[in-house]
Amino acid sequence: MKRASRHYSALSLLRARLSGAGFWRPLWTGNRLEQAYDVVVVGAGGHGLATAYHLAKDHGIKRVAVLEKRLVGYGNVGRNTTIVRSNYLLPENHYFYEDALRRYEGLGRELNYNIMYSPRGVVDLALSDDDFPVLARRGNALRLAGIDAELMDRAALEKFVPALAPRRRRRFPIVGALVQHRGGTVRHDAVAWGYARAASALGVDIIEDCEVTGLHTTGNSATAVQTSQGEVQAGAVVFATAGHTGLVGKMLGVPLPIETHLLQAMVTEPVKPLLDTVLVYVAPGHAESYISQSDRGGMVLGGHIDGFPSYTREGAWHRLEDVVRATVEVLPQLGQLRLLRHWAGTNDMTMDGSPIIDRVKYDNVFLNAGWCYGGFKAIPASGAACASFVAKGTPPDLIRAYCLSRFATGHLLDEPGYGPYPVKL
Amino acid sequence: MACPFCGLRPLEEFLFRKTVPNVGAGSGVHLGAGAGVDAGDSASAYAQVYLRVDSAEHSVEEWQHVAGCRAWLLIDRNPSTGVVRSVALLGGAQ
Repeated sequence: MKRASRHYSALSLLRARLSGAGFWRPLWTGNRLEQAYDVVVVGAGGHGLATAYHLAKDHGIKRVAVLEKRLVGYGNVGRNTTIVRSNYLLPENHYFYEDALRRYEGLGRELNYNIMYSPRGVVDLALSDDDFPVLARRGNALRLAGIDAELMDRAALEKFVPALAPRRRRRFPIVGALVQHRGGTVRHDAVAWGYARAASALGVDIIEDCEVTGLHTTGNSATAVQTSQGEVQAGAVVFATAGHTGLVGKMLGVPLPIETHLLQAMVTEPVKPLLDTVLVYVAPGHAESYISQSDRGGMVLGGHIDGFPSYTREGAWHRLEDVVRATVEVLPQLGQLRLLRHWAGTNDMTMDGSPIIDRVKYDNVFLNAGWCYGGFKAIPASGAACASFVAKGTPPDLIRAYCLSRFATGHLLDEPGYGPYPVKL
Repeated sequence: MACPFCGLRPLEEFLFRKTVPNVGAGSGVHLGAGAGVDAGDSASAYAQVYLRVDSAEHSVEEWQHVAGCRAWLLIDRNPSTGVVRSVALLGGAQ
């Protein structure tokens, strides 16, 4: 048994500096698969690790395993554009994401791990007169819910984001913006590593290279999961495998309102500090795109999904082009930068754009899925709520709306408002 | 992508609409833990409107050649490789 990671503090880091490499230990331990667990969590991404952490910490469930087919944080938790925000229009969504953002604000302290939360502000740009009242409506909905939102006119915006000051002629003028100041970025890998370290310290077993291939059931209950390392008895099973939920649906024999699409992200060569906020924009003729500058200086770009089912993790060229063109419309000074890297992740797209956290088919099988392109910013709230659901058997109010039956009863959470499709026709 | 009318055309001319479920409407449908759901009519409507096929190997999809002849197409693809197995006119040749 390896020794657990040490507590980090200014004093301990100073001691580490003096005592050399001996201070540092692996962030998580306990890689031997036991025969039985109270709860088996499938998927060591953000949601799975956070769920396991909260099961152990809030509910005292000690025998918890997180089974991962590849490596901790190999999936979308390490592929996103690191943006956190809670500026959603619908109450069910903005209360949930606000819970996540509040938890993110204190997460570094809670996990004793630096997640590099940077509340640099998320700026939704209005690029036409029509965009502005739409943003104002969303801002009003947020303020009524007690969530910070500031509507800025062009003059105020140019002061807040100097990179937008009109040095060059733009085809579409910037009218104003809706700003959430507490929104910003969080180091994505650190969230996975921080949760894994904290969960491991509470006794959670994190098993990498362990693919779940089947589920054993008796009547209305699951009894065990079949894995590539053997069979494991399970008191409850949580599937947190967003990006591969289709396989889970097949395993459970439950068709789901989910398709898997690709979302691309890309980074330019590093440049000097230019942008200290996150900009989100829908340039006319383009899909939504967003940009922020990383601590290394690279401009991190993302856009909308590719728009058709794919598991290739290779983005379509025309979607990459669209993101770049939209970005150069908004920030013409970036036109000569070169792209350095580009990648894609597989996204669970639900047919209303909102997630699903529910008990499915069996009394003790839980599905945490359908995060679309909003999974990273949801992790702390999703983990806490999902753990509470598993431990108590009833969903907390915060995620009651994320039930699977909403599609049948018509209580959809269609944030973009274009019907049961992941992309607008 | 090969359109039956226009031949090989760039992918961005085509728009994906939905995967076509291969289950009969309502079969195998499970609505989750939500109580008070009428499992009859709502399950069937749910299946027809919202259920999709999410397979890594085989996907039958409705597409439209929007920036071309605007025909609706039924496309059989492998989402893990992007290889298109067949393209047919949606609803059969007319």
